[in-house]
Amino acid sequence: MSMFNALEISGSAMQAERQRAEVVAANMANAETTHTPSGGPYRRKEVVFSSSGNTPFQMLLAGFRRLTGRANPAVRISRIVNDPAPPLKKYEPGHPDADSSGYVSYPAINPIEEMVDLMGAVRAYQLNAAAVSATKQMIQGSMDILK
Amino acid sequence: MLATPMIQLLERFLNVTSDRESLIANNMANIDTPGYRTEDLDFRSELQRATGNSEDAAFTPVVRKVPGLLQRPDGNDVSLDRESMNLAESQLQFKMGIQFIRSEFHRLLNAINEGKDA
Repeated sequence: MSMFNALEISGSAMQAERQRAEVVAANMANAETTHTPSGGPYRRKEVVFSSSGNTPFQMLLAGFRRLTGRANPAVRISRIVNDPAPPLKKYEPGHPDADSSGYVSYPAINPIEEMVDLMGAVRAYQLNAAAVSATKQMIQGSMDILK
Repeated sequence: MLATPMIQLLERFLNVTSDRESLIANNMANIDTPGYRTEDLDFRSELQRATGNSEDAAFTPVVRKVPGLLQRPDGNDVSLDRESMNLAESQLQFKMGIQFIRSEFHRLLNAINEGKDA
């Protein structure tokens, strides 16, 4: 029972890290986007992780109530916030998004920063994938008692 | 009843090990959560507690925050190396418990078969 719980914990982290990688990918894809539906250039997004605050044992208790609703995941992305950094101004008078003085606002995105963040997300994903395979081996081992 | 005292003891050992494994998974899951503090249980005292109470009451280990770990600027103090080592350790402990239980069952089977085939 509690071993399958460990799988769920690692799974929630893998899901959160994948979402973080998606946000990084969106930032890199929109590094040159000057036009968004809300007006202005694309704003760099950042994720905020939060722990459910439940220890696994409280989660185990919550597991009995899982028939009615899902238990809280161990970790999740609580918010996606905009980076408050001001946009970069480039003098491009011919650009359709140029302001009255000829400057175009570009998103303040540093590709190196994004790549480092992406690597962090990938490594954390791998770490949790390793935890999943360890848990799987333990479950497999306890099934081997029956052999 | 087939459960010998040895098997009951090993069952509790496996319970504590898998609880600890859940805690390690939880620490690993929160490696990027700002302000998260590493949690662990004291294996020796929890095992003593688990084997001490004779009735099959649901055993809840005491979880404590691990002191003395280096904190990152965001207040998180999960160490990847520490958790990886602990994961490997609890995995091996679990494997060992499983092997002991298997050999205990084989002994029982041997007795049932009057030692004819083992």
